[in-house]
Amino acid sequence: MSRRYFPSLDSSKYVTSVPYDVDSTRTPKVHECKRKSLYTTVRELVENALDSAESISELPVVEITIEEIGKSKFNSMIGLIDRERIDEALYDDFETVKAREKRLAKEARVQEIQAKNAALGKKVKEQVAIKAIKGRGEASFYRVTCKDNGKGMPHDDIPNMFGRVLSGTKYGLKQTRGKFGLGAKMALIWSKMSTGLPIEISSSMKGQNYVSFCRLDIDIHRNIPHIHLHEKRDNKERWNGAEIQVVIEGNWTTYRSKILHYMRQMAVITPYAQFLFSFVSDTSDKNVSIKFARRTDIMPPVPLETKYHPSAVDLLLIKRLIAETSKQNLLQFLQHEFVNIGKAYAERLIGEMGPDFSPKMLVKSLTSQQLVRIHQLFRQAKFDDPSGDCLSPAGEYNLRLGIIKELHPDMVATYSGSAQVFEGHPFIVEAGVSVGGKDVKQGLNIFRFANRIPLLFEQGADVVTRTALKRIKLTALRLQTSIQQCCIQLKSKIVKKIQAREQQERKRNLSKYIPDATNAIYEVLKEMTHLHASKKRRYEDKDAELLSKVSARLITKDTLREKLAQHVEQVDYEMALEYATQSGVKEEPRENIYLQLLEAEKDFIDFHGPVFVFRLFR
Amino acid sequence: MADKRKRRRPDPDSDSDSDTRPFKHLLKPDTTILSSLTTLAASTAASSSKTLTLSDLRLSAACREVSDLPPSAVQSAIESLAVSLARSILSGQGFSFTVPSRSSANQLYVPELDRIVLKDKTSIRPYSSVSTVRKTTITTRILHLIHQLCLKNIHVTKRDLFYTDVKLFQDQTQSDAVLDDVSCILGCTRSSLNVVAAEKGVVVGRLIFSDNGDMIDCTKMGMGGKAIPPNIDRVGDMKSDALFILLVEKDAAYMRLAEDRFYNRFPCIIVTAKGQPDVATRLFLRKMKMELKLPVLALVDSDPYGLKILSVYGCGSKNMSYDSANLTTPDIKWLGIRPSDLDKYKIPEQCRLPMTEQDIKTGKDLLEEDFVKKNPGWVEELNLMVKSKQKAEIQALSSFGFQYLSEVYLPLKLQQRDWL
Repeated sequence: MSRRYFPSLDSSKYVTSVPYDVDSTRTPKVHECKRKSLYTTVRELVENALDSAESISELPVVEITIEEIGKSKFNSMIGLIDRERIDEALYDDFETVKAREKRLAKEARVQEIQAKNAALGKKVKEQVAIKAIKGRGEASFYRVTCKDNGKGMPHDDIPNMFGRVLSGTKYGLKQTRGKFGLGAKMALIWSKMSTGLPIEISSSMKGQNYVSFCRLDIDIHRNIPHIHLHEKRDNKERWNGAEIQVVIEGNWTTYRSKILHYMRQMAVITPYAQFLFSFVSDTSDKNVSIKFARRTDIMPPVPLETKYHPSAVDLLLIKRLIAETSKQNLLQFLQHEFVNIGKAYAERLIGEMGPDFSPKMLVKSLTSQQLVRIHQLFRQAKFDDPSGDCLSPAGEYNLRLGIIKELHPDMVATYSGSAQVFEGHPFIVEAGVSVGGKDVKQGLNIFRFANRIPLLFEQGADVVTRTALKRIKLTALRLQTSIQQCCIQLKSKIVKKIQAREQQERKRNLSKYIPDATNAIYEVLKEMTHLHASKKRRYEDKDAELLSKVSARLITKDTLREKLAQHVEQVDYEMALEYATQSGVKEEPRENIYLQLLEAEKDFIDFHGPVFVFRLFR
Repeated sequence: MADKRKRRRPDPDSDSDSDTRPFKHLLKPDTTILSSLTTLAASTAASSSKTLTLSDLRLSAACREVSDLPPSAVQSAIESLAVSLARSILSGQGFSFTVPSRSSANQLYVPELDRIVLKDKTSIRPYSSVSTVRKTTITTRILHLIHQLCLKNIHVTKRDLFYTDVKLFQDQTQSDAVLDDVSCILGCTRSSLNVVAAEKGVVVGRLIFSDNGDMIDCTKMGMGGKAIPPNIDRVGDMKSDALFILLVEKDAAYMRLAEDRFYNRFPCIIVTAKGQPDVATRLFLRKMKMELKLPVLALVDSDPYGLKILSVYGCGSKNMSYDSANLTTPDIKWLGIRPSDLDKYKIPEQCRLPMTEQDIKTGKDLLEEDFVKKNPGWVEELNLMVKSKQKAEIQALSSFGFQYLSEVYLPLKLQQRDWL
């Protein structure tokens, strides 16, 4: 797997300039990070796994397992003996005598109430057992394992790919989700800091007859990998891909819903992937196991690799590009390593840099000050926006399919925007809105993605958010229009549905009011007959005839009712006909059925019709 | 009424040295002001010629207007309608109503009449249509209820009517709206349907009238005044020695004037409907104006809403334009508080309020209305309001003392004949 610089739009993923600086984790943000680390780690690993599989055009299968590790188990893992507490009062979670009395009294009260309720025969929900008081000392550790069917990594590169921050052998710019190298490394550093345990990597590339296994940690200060074990093992299953296992400190209870929400969003935007998520702990009722099944095998095309846009590079990246370039002089370097710089433009740029620069000067001889100058110019100069050709959005088809697959909504609308550019990074916003569905909250469900990454809007949630706020503003703007588009689509769908429902309920509605209306009219007629009989009023002959029929009970309430009901019946029939002619017969949307391809088995017969192929599997 | 003079406040000129309230010194003795009012009243009485009707303008064909009908006439109208409905049902056609449209597209401002009238557009309300079945049913039900009222010749309130069949009407706005439709269908005023709204307006001052045979002296009604009877037909025998009618938008200002017995210093009748005027107050005002031939001066807030209320008294509301002939009072003068008064009376900045977006929009919309355009003075004032983006309530005058309204502002306004 190559090391790449990936533009991504999510706040948590935007890397500005600094390579992952370990010392920065010692700022107050470190607490926030630690708590979120479980979620972030899952994200990084899942996204890397998807990228890896997509890069070799394989339908992704990602298995992610989070295993809760108890305190004592963890201690034994790091070789620490569980010590009994001797001086209980020393600890933060020590329960004083007073507190215990209070607790016992409370428990007794609860029991009393329950007994009372039971005596009264009330059915009460089982009282949740009072939670054990959790002290700060009781840290939660998790083993996160992520297995994919992707490209894998070359055996010899593995230590450097994980154990060294920002070392590169190849570069290029491609739309991907993760920023491999940083993401997994971040997890590695967290594990190093919180648990001190090494990371374990198994990997195999296609056609390899062995699995590389590597256990390593990172020497933070010297920025070199510290290899515990690096060996080749048998590859009996002919598996290709990578499996990364890391033990970190984190918080499952708080981030449970967030992680699951994220998984669901990923399942929506990548319906061609299969996810297996499971959480394992000692208490079995907390265990979670979800399978997000594949629904289609149509994958978006592999994004094209492009060069960097000058507005999007930072100082370190320029240094890296210079170190890796094969071009000799400055002019060639500018011309070939960036998009949107032609030869003439490169010359103009060099002229603008100042007298110390010349087109023919060796690019490797540039001093740090000169590099800063180049960087400044890149920031200030005007360049054409990069084209969105290198982007590969999921597409409305996949998005729609994903939403239908995961939510089974009543209605869904999707919208895919056109490519936009922010500071040299192209991006595409895709959004979906759905109404109703299985196991989801009432009302609208909104899905938003930029470059196929769910936008969950967690500003300032990670270490690397410095310029992210600015980005979010822009994406938010794009999103608004996208979601508006979706809602317009939904509106017309809803109108159609309402019409269809009115159609069904028309007769019922019309019939409902028959008694009220006929009663009112009949009552007036009856009053009139009384007046007529008592000769208080005179009526015209025609009216008098009707009234005499009423008084003779030839016309009654029921006569009016029946007549009106007949009329309603007739009108209903006419309107149904009219509706049918207007809207055609097939108003109910038909859902496509996806038949999964059976693997290997090619034992079938094709029946070819003029408009279909019917395949019979034997 | 003359014996009330002893309650009068000391003559303003006698304590003018101690009084430092702004513009107080401009006030002339009450006799001067009274004489100017007398001329106003006299000119109004003389000028009020015969009011025009739609038929005078040959518009009766193009416009729809209702008239007061006796209960028996309403009854027979309903009966003939019921018979025709029954016939239609028996013939298997279902049934439908032809309802005059009360939408704003069907309204017309007639400058000669200075009020809004309803044009002749109608809509068919068939029973056998999903969109109108409910309304049609409610209409038949209301017709039935009105028929009973007319038979027994009793009055009920709109609320009573609603409660006879809550299940069908669902909420009162629905039955109220249909009630107006029924008025239009039958061609009678809402009062002739024997349905009234709850009492809202009050009147105090130099007025004596009979309410259902009881003589009421509005100077002896205490501070609160006499509630305006909901059905105008039981009001009669109006007598007054007032020189003008003062129409007040708000309860608070009304209370101030009633408590200060303003009507004794300057003989007048003070009326308020506490905000948007109801039908009874509008009928009552019109009756006073027509029978007593007094000028009407309006005291409303200096905001678009105040002017709107003024317009409802003057030209009628769109909702009830079918009966504008009975509901509107012509020739109402805008006394205050006008936008130009804010600066003229140096109302302090802290008592003025900035107009909201909505206010400004309403103001601009009003500028487009015909009833505003016909009065250049009003246009000027409204332009000033929209431009300055400031509004003020009558209460803003209280910043100079609670009685400034009754003791300085109004007398000065009357003295200067400062109305539009």
